[in-house]
Amino acid sequence: MLLLIGATVLGFALAPILTTILYKYKILRKAEFDYTLQGERGVKAGTPVMGGLLVIFVVLIITMLFNWDRRYTYVPIGAMAISALLGASDDLLNVFGGKRRLRNVRHSLTLIRVHRKWFMKIWHAVTLPWTAFRELTSIFGSKQDRGIQTHEKLFLQFIAGAITAWWVYSKLGQNWHTLWIPFDGSIDVGWFIIPIIIFFVMFTANAVNIADGLDGLVGGSLIMAFLGLAILSWTEGRTAFTPFNMTVIGALIAYTYFNVKPARFQMGDVGSLGLGTLLAINAIAINKTLLLPLLGFIFYIEIFSVILQVFFRRLLGRRLFKMAPLHHHFELIGWNEEKIVMRFWIIQAFVVIVAVWIALR
Amino acid sequence: MLSSLAEELIDEYFNLPFPGVAGVRCPYFNNTRKRSRGQLRTLVGKGTPKEIVEESKIISTQYHLGIFENDCSVCKQNLTPDDIRKFMIDHDLGIECSGFVSQVLRVHYIESKGVDFARKIYIYPISKFLRYVISILRPIENINVQVLADDRNSTTVNLGEAAAGDIITMLDTHPTKKINHVMLIRDVKDNKIQYVHARTWSSEGRYGHGIMNGTIEIIYPKDNLISQRWTEKNLSGEQNETFLEARRAKVLQIRRVKI
Repeated sequence: MLLLIGATVLGFALAPILTTILYKYKILRKAEFDYTLQGERGVKAGTPVMGGLLVIFVVLIITMLFNWDRRYTYVPIGAMAISALLGASDDLLNVFGGKRRLRNVRHSLTLIRVHRKWFMKIWHAVTLPWTAFRELTSIFGSKQDRGIQTHEKLFLQFIAGAITAWWVYSKLGQNWHTLWIPFDGSIDVGWFIIPIIIFFVMFTANAVNIADGLDGLVGGSLIMAFLGLAILSWTEGRTAFTPFNMTVIGALIAYTYFNVKPARFQMGDVGSLGLGTLLAINAIAINKTLLLPLLGFIFYIEIFSVILQVFFRRLLGRRLFKMAPLHHHFELIGWNEEKIVMRFWIIQAFVVIVAVWIALR
Repeated sequence: MLSSLAEELIDEYFNLPFPGVAGVRCPYFNNTRKRSRGQLRTLVGKGTPKEIVEESKIISTQYHLGIFENDCSVCKQNLTPDDIRKFMIDHDLGIECSGFVSQVLRVHYIESKGVDFARKIYIYPISKFLRYVISILRPIENINVQVLADDRNSTTVNLGEAAAGDIITMLDTHPTKKINHVMLIRDVKDNKIQYVHARTWSSEGRYGHGIMNGTIEIIYPKDNLISQRWTEKNLSGEQNETFLEARRAKVLQIRRVKI
């Protein structure tokens, strides 16, 4: 409880400072690079991004000062920091970076054939699989020529997931090699826990990132998700993670206070990727990996809406939703932002209660 | 006559259901030059009127183009049909000839015979497995003029037997490029074949093309189609570019879909 209060107080204290810094260095959302800033959303142009730094800093400071434990908090904090760093780079490049020239496979093949310099031919041949990977992953992202691209994000998230998997598999002990199955106890999956962890870390980080599109949506939903984790870590006897989760909740309370509409700042990738990674790790750490789709229900619904939309678009030539992720669909059918956020919060709270109930059965 | 729903659909292409603006005629768009792959069918010139309007709404919203009011429920005031057509043409929205004919025939045969024409038609052999699967998933996008003119899908019809629902196919209408065209017969009465098609005329410039009606007056019943009087936009003879295209075609036939 003390950590929760400490994180909340520190969050409220740091928020004005962070806002001032973001304004000073003009780390603001730019309308010309963002096609969603239209009509009512137009007021979001000029709002500082990277507000998620508040949560990241508060969690880092409080945990390092009062809850530093090489066995339990060291790696979650590290993986969160890696993801946050990736997100921060993307945010900064989106604001300050220029346009990037991106080659497609056809262009690379032409260059391999016609380039005058032989070492450039080899370079294009060697990087061809990477280019193909970029082109493949680009079908899931909207067209953008700034910032870190989808394939680069996935690669760095894979590293964050791999670090987590290594920590769980080799450092936490045999108890963590089991996978809890709802209503059915646990099964020992051995080394197979590694790909499971990598998948959930990457998937959840991206899910939170995708859901971050409306004021207050991700902040409020994360509070409920981490509250569920705090309760479960306590009831499961893995109490080392309870204060850690409470710290995150405290920081998120301060963040969300300033993020509700009209937002003083927005989370940015720095917060959404960092906290998405942390959400996955903290669920994995208390062996409730398979509850993640319920604990992060809104985030999973949002990412599945994108996957389904891509599937419908590419295979069937039709849209399933007017626009993906799902919150944009509701905006296009005329719901206002507050209505969407409130309803998503209520749904998230309900599903987290269901998740806790399932875990406690 | 075509079925009532097919006629309604044609009318919708002539008067796209943009909320608040009447009389927006669907422009022509062909994906040949842009070569989009795996895209929404609306973006490759094969969409229904409702899909085309919905996509216009989304594109307008995404790129701050101000065609619709902020809540997307209605078009902005003082927009003319020409403004909206210009917006659509600038954003590659429209319908191409075989897409238009396929959409109308689909509705026509579902209503008149209870058969989904797009599911019945032969597109690719099963030996080209990937193409075959794609054509099952996305039949309308894979139906082109050659598919419609294939003997497995349609049979030739004599000039005197032409009826509503038949198609006029023109194959190889360009000396060097592979260009085909198809038109749909809307009605036949008083020795006049009334057709409708999605087309572009060079004389109309960048923004004039789209869905258009025309007639072929049968003045020499014993001669072929090209000997008759083709009229479109009150233009006949050399001024009628549809007639010129038909004259250039290596194969010009009236065909009836086998259903």
